[in-house]
Amino acid sequence: MTSQRALDIAALQQELARAGYVAEPSLAAALLLMRDLERPLLLEGDAGVGKTEVAKVLADINGTRLIRLQCYEGLDAHAAMYEWNYQRQLLAIKLLEHDERAGAKDLAQKEQDIFSERYLLKRPLLEAISDERAPVLLIDEIDRADAAFEAYLLELLSDFQISIPELGTVRAKTRPLVVITSNGTRELSDALRRRCLYQYIDYPDYDKELAIVRKKAPEAEARLAQQIVAFVQAVRRMELQKKPGIAETLDWTAALLRLGISVIDIDGAERIMDTLSALIKTRDDRVAFPREVVARLAAAC
Amino acid sequence: MLSASERLVQFPGFLRANGFGVGGGDAVQALRAAERSGVLDQDVLRWSLKALLCRRGDEWQRFDELFEAWFLPANRWQAPQRRGAGDGAQSAAHPGGEGEGDRPDDDDARPRRTASREEALTSADFSALTEREHAIEIEALMRRFARQLKSIRLRREARARRGRRLDLPGTIRRSVASGGTPFHLLWRNHRSVRPRLVLLIDVSRSMVLYSFFYLRLARALAAELADVHSFIFHTRVTSVSQALHDPDPWRAQERLHLVAQGWAGGTRIGESLEQFNREHAPRVVHGRTAVIILSDGYDTGEPQQLSDALVQLRRRARRVAWINPLSSRPGYAPVCQGMQAAMPHLDLLAPGGDLASLRAVLPELIEALH
Repeated sequence: MTSQRALDIAALQQELARAGYVAEPSLAAALLLMRDLERPLLLEGDAGVGKTEVAKVLADINGTRLIRLQCYEGLDAHAAMYEWNYQRQLLAIKLLEHDERAGAKDLAQKEQDIFSERYLLKRPLLEAISDERAPVLLIDEIDRADAAFEAYLLELLSDFQISIPELGTVRAKTRPLVVITSNGTRELSDALRRRCLYQYIDYPDYDKELAIVRKKAPEAEARLAQQIVAFVQAVRRMELQKKPGIAETLDWTAALLRLGISVIDIDGAERIMDTLSALIKTRDDRVAFPREVVARLAAAC
Repeated sequence: MLSASERLVQFPGFLRANGFGVGGGDAVQALRAAERSGVLDQDVLRWSLKALLCRRGDEWQRFDELFEAWFLPANRWQAPQRRGAGDGAQSAAHPGGEGEGDRPDDDDARPRRTASREEALTSADFSALTEREHAIEIEALMRRFARQLKSIRLRREARARRGRRLDLPGTIRRSVASGGTPFHLLWRNHRSVRPRLVLLIDVSRSMVLYSFFYLRLARALAAELADVHSFIFHTRVTSVSQALHDPDPWRAQERLHLVAQGWAGGTRIGESLEQFNREHAPRVVHGRTAVIILSDGYDTGEPQQLSDALVQLRRRARRVAWINPLSSRPGYAPVCQGMQAAMPHLDLLAPGGDLASLRAVLPELIEALH
């Protein structure tokens, strides 16, 4: 028998597919649960398997804004949450100084004015919780930020509020849907993991990748798409420094189409060699693809 | 026979017994999730619980089997799964996994796949790891090392002498005293960024006198610095960061036992480094990483392979240093093939068989990591 939830999952999958994302049912189930339990979703997996895309498409189907916080080394709370607009504040102080009418009485009023929302620069995290409609907050590559920043983030993720000393505590009007991605360059803290739902995204299998290519590059003929995917899957099985991701597959498809290559076979190995730069991104890996290897792979497709 | 909801509530405990990092509150969450997803459709329940209860890649790989063991046949659940070598330390190094085959099988296959004539399958006595002897000296030395590392600044802004940046929040706060006129300017401090350290410790038979000493160094160093990654190698390379850096010394020993397969066996440095380049380096080594290899350089593999692997590693890392316990002996010359092959690609080759020689070499090492 089919439960109501299974139907929901299938419906969500279809909705995602309409927005251009081929999702496995387990991902759809996690997205539903994320809505139910109001928890962030932590996505892990190699670069290029479509982690960031999940957040984009989620914003798309919910019809909300995507607020993106790209993490980097040295990212601090100011760049991520809020900052006072000091230049404007200084200017305002100067203007108020020359305002003759101002007495000592409304000094407090002035101070309050200078630390009001008008002088506040909202950075992604503050922006995400002060939006009227729950946006999708994408915290991209969190493993690049330092552990100290993770601690800041935990406060936000547990209470959905940010305290600004001069202004008070800003509470979330609506809870944003939070998607966190990590490439695993640094081990994340257990505290963060505990608060999140988890999803590991692997390289797509043949069927899934074919579906993605058909969706994203509909101009490629069915036969060519099958060959492309078979070729890429074979490349991924080789020992490479950098395995091609889905983005590389799509780039390569575009390159092949651009050159007017409509079939992958041994005779076309020379022309395929010309396009491999879209698929293979390091010099050492490129060396692993002499003409014979490409011809053999092409023949097997 | 347990009822369905009891079975569900006890599932997180079962996962914990199998090495999952689930906590006490997860049982309630699991019930809530099951309420939403329904318990009739097995796949839906599985997907929901998987998203909820998994925390990292290796758990993700093992979940399906445990789920089936717990929920499907009622007679299998009492046998807890063996905590494989993949638990924690090792599999953290394989978040990508190979994609094929499930994790527990992989564990079973591992010793067989890698056992060789040269490998001693005896397990070492790890109690030496927390020996009290010299513990204070080691800790003091590593603290000093950590402190000196903090003085290394790798940011570009550290190089730029001219042009400081104004610390506006501080300046304004200070200007309160002078009625809002910023007489005293505050300047932003340059943030110093330490290099990340990757330690590759040779634990082959010829290193048996030194490997424990180096493991203790690594453990003490990890207590001081956040960004230290430790690996051991003999005929292959294994991450020991999580096992070694466990704050509980007893548990650290336990976990090391699990990854100690092949301890004190033969050495294939080139092959190990190649494996490191392939499996770990893309994640762990970046442009401000200092790789420190602790080995005597006795290699049974091809020297060419070692030199190729080092070239590749050198390109990815910021510095590669090699600490050789033998080279502090009088009359030592790096004549063994391994060292010969490695020499041209190193930023520093330093002796370091004991505390005294390490202490002596510390300034040089710090200098090389700059």
